[in-house]
Amino acid sequence: MIPELLPELTLVAFALAIPCISYISKNKKIIGYFSIIGFLLSLIAVLEISQLSLRYSLYNDMILIDSFSIFFKSIFLCIGLLVAIASLDYIEGNYGEYYSLLMLSILGMMFVASANDLIFLFIGIEIASVSTYILVAFRKKDKLGSEAGMKYFIIGAFSSALLLYGISLLYGIANTTNIFSLKERIGEKLFEPIAVLAIVFLIAGFGFKMAAVPFHMWAPDTYEGAPTTITALLASASKKVGFAAAMKVFIIGMLAVKINWSVAFGIIAIVTMSVGNIIAIAQNSVKRMLAYSSIAQAGYIMIAFAVLTKFAIAGSLLHILTHAIMCFGAFIVVAIVVGENIDDYAGLRRRAPFTAFAMTIFLLSLAGLPPLSGFISKFVLFSAAIQAGGWVVWLAVAGVLNSALSLYYYARVIKYMYVVAPSEKKEEIKSQKWLIITVIIAFALTVIIGIYPGPFIDFAIRGAGGLLPS
Amino acid sequence: MLTLLIIIPIIGVLFILLLRERWARVIGAIFTFIPLAISIYLYKFFEPTNTNYQFEVNYDWVKVIGISYHLGIDGISYPLLILTTLLTFLSVLFSWDIEKRRKEYFALLLIIEIGIIGVFISLDFFLFYVFWEIVLIPMYFLIGIWGGPNKDYAAIKFFIYTHVGSIVMLLGIMAIYFQTEPIIGYYTFDMVVIQQAVAPNISSYLQTILFLVFLFGFAVKMPIFPLHTWLPDAHVEAPTAGSVLLAGLLLKMGGYGLIRIAVTMFPWATVLFSSPLAIIAVISIIYGALVCLAQEDLKKMVAFSSISHMGFVLLGASSLTAIGISGAVFQMFNHGLVTAVLFMMCGVIHHKAGTRQLSMLGGIAPKMPVAAGIFVVGSLASLGLPGLANFVSEFMVYVGTYYKFSFWVIIPVLSAVLTAGYYLWAIERSFFGPFNPSLGKVEDLDKHELIPLSILITLLVIIGVFPAIILHIIIPSSLNISWLLEGFSI
Repeated sequence: MIPELLPELTLVAFALAIPCISYISKNKKIIGYFSIIGFLLSLIAVLEISQLSLRYSLYNDMILIDSFSIFFKSIFLCIGLLVAIASLDYIEGNYGEYYSLLMLSILGMMFVASANDLIFLFIGIEIASVSTYILVAFRKKDKLGSEAGMKYFIIGAFSSALLLYGISLLYGIANTTNIFSLKERIGEKLFEPIAVLAIVFLIAGFGFKMAAVPFHMWAPDTYEGAPTTITALLASASKKVGFAAAMKVFIIGMLAVKINWSVAFGIIAIVTMSVGNIIAIAQNSVKRMLAYSSIAQAGYIMIAFAVLTKFAIAGSLLHILTHAIMCFGAFIVVAIVVGENIDDYAGLRRRAPFTAFAMTIFLLSLAGLPPLSGFISKFVLFSAAIQAGGWVVWLAVAGVLNSALSLYYYARVIKYMYVVAPSEKKEEIKSQKWLIITVIIAFALTVIIGIYPGPFIDFAIRGAGGLLPS
Repeated sequence: MLTLLIIIPIIGVLFILLLRERWARVIGAIFTFIPLAISIYLYKFFEPTNTNYQFEVNYDWVKVIGISYHLGIDGISYPLLILTTLLTFLSVLFSWDIEKRRKEYFALLLIIEIGIIGVFISLDFFLFYVFWEIVLIPMYFLIGIWGGPNKDYAAIKFFIYTHVGSIVMLLGIMAIYFQTEPIIGYYTFDMVVIQQAVAPNISSYLQTILFLVFLFGFAVKMPIFPLHTWLPDAHVEAPTAGSVLLAGLLLKMGGYGLIRIAVTMFPWATVLFSSPLAIIAVISIIYGALVCLAQEDLKKMVAFSSISHMGFVLLGASSLTAIGISGAVFQMFNHGLVTAVLFMMCGVIHHKAGTRQLSMLGGIAPKMPVAAGIFVVGSLASLGLPGLANFVSEFMVYVGTYYKFSFWVIIPVLSAVLTAGYYLWAIERSFFGPFNPSLGKVEDLDKHELIPLSILITLLVIIGVFPAIILHIIIPSSLNISWLLEGFSI
């Protein structure tokens, strides 16, 4: 047994065992519990490895386990665990298939987090994507769901093709697929047109995964059509895979040619946050609004690619962590309320006081109000941009102004929950204990990171250290 | 000791949310009275001659990036602290008859108190910003849920406007934070360290920019012309207690920030900009007064008068003299008391007579003699009648302005005529003259309205006659600031 890969192996074992169990037992809960145990064991294994704080390089440098990969693995596993818990209440149908795919998609994400080789990275992305294609269309009878799945699949396959093309061009230039050797070899090919072409393809490929403008068109439709727990998975974990991969390829592999791409990322960041926020204002469906808001949040995270200091990357990682939690919480609230239109939220404070309060906290945290987690991560991120000085200061200014703008549509939902009286009598909200449990966990984390951010900032800084040692 | 001031309202919020609805107001009264008692008790131990921060508390909060939990008060913040605890307590009393969603109402009042107290006592930029923003959300709800007919618009306008102001300030905080490491060797948000060791060593170019950035943030809050447009909407639509807290305390956060941060940390830039600031201040004073003359709605008139009166705070600060700055702080304190009286009276009139439109009112003084008396005294105080509190502070600002700008002081002095004009006219149109029969039955004050109002009126008279009880706290700290500024004057 190779202990460094224990978390992945645990997931594989459980993911393969679940379909077998589902032949024996049709009890949904047993399968659910089984997968939760799998996630927990894997998470414990990751935490054990993180205690060692070493860098392991395995399989001829294909896999690198360091603080950066541990950071992402913990996020992915936590989100996977929460989604698994929430799904106990939410999903109807073939549970064995559902939980198995869920675990495999998380497995793919973890591969990406520890990949040190372009091919391995691509395989990880594909494992994660293919599983989520099916999960998005899990409600087969639902037209909206099938459309969402189809759209996601076509766009996803297209972006994978772009990515693969970019990777093959890189291989052509540098003669290696190893990210660390790439770093050394690409330096001298600085201005070759083919290097620029490779960068364009890679940005486009990763841009689709991150749902950055102008590659974001699929996201709102897919988020809206997917089962809400899967939407939470997409927005909280799947989207972050794009960032993990892009950080590896760009910040480690192509740091030498950064003048070719950092400005491009800066522009995409500003456009992404502005477009996401502006379109979100016009949305009447809370689910779509959250989808656009998570596009905007991707814009904030991208600031790190333009600033490129250790502190900025730490801010970015921290924002990935906090956004994963708050966004997850907000989507699960949507799952609890069932309704997606903003009118369904009118008077929610009466029907479900805790859910309404938790939603308020998530939304305010997404808007970046202190003392919540979203404020802390935005604070670190924007202040890193100001520290770096030069043109990236404008990224911080854009981010800050966008945060103010975003407050408008977040506050609108809060207004509906607390101020507007429902137009007709709404049915009671069913008490769904597993969904509520995940909301409580996300709520607690949002508040704790906000009030006591020290260890989390530390964790993010260590994670960034794995990427950019200086 | 200072930590208690923050913790007690938090406990109060928890109690209100956990216990029954009918207990809410009693708990609210108790848990706002305790901070009031504490802040008055501190008077015994407060040493006015000591210009350092007193009752300091300093712990590390987030050590990685240099955030500390640092509290302390001095002569600038202490009067405002008393004002905060006093006005929140009185607002709770005044809101005794609130029926709609009582639990949430009192909980929100307490959360606002936490935020405002925190702003006045925190000595760490990060902490300061956190408290600064905490105030926004409950106030948004307070306007949005219990407000008047146009509450949605007013609430969101207030929220967005002041949020933009505060995040611009946040950019300034970040910029100053990154100056700490090159200058003193480690990152810190500590205001005291930054003021003493970092701010004097920042390049003059950056000082200018930072001063303007902070000024923008505070000017939105104060509000200073032309950033004032959120104020009339928010004040008019807010419930009475909300207006009292808005005008009495939230505006003071802006004034406090101006003196504590913009002026004290960037004295060089303050001296540079003192004349433009004075001009803007005078515009605010005159503009506010002129707009008041045109108002039909009594509450809107009081709201605009706040713009005019907060102009005096900026004018006092821009005079760069000890007497002007003390006058500015004192004006904030007095304006808090007066504006609370006037807004409460607007609430009373609206409640009893059913309207606040001056053209609809008239001749109600015989029906509500006590209320009329209180309103007249409040208005007289607000227009600066000698013997009442505001006269002293406005006079001090005039004197300070005279030192700096000599005879130009005539312009703000003349504005007193306008102020007298709109108040007297409003009194005449609302309380005196022929009674408007369509008003129906008009009764005098209820007990829960009378108690806070009489406390405030008493204070106005006491302070008007013995201003020294507050002034002797303010002056030493203001002297300190003016010495700092003198070093940069030419």
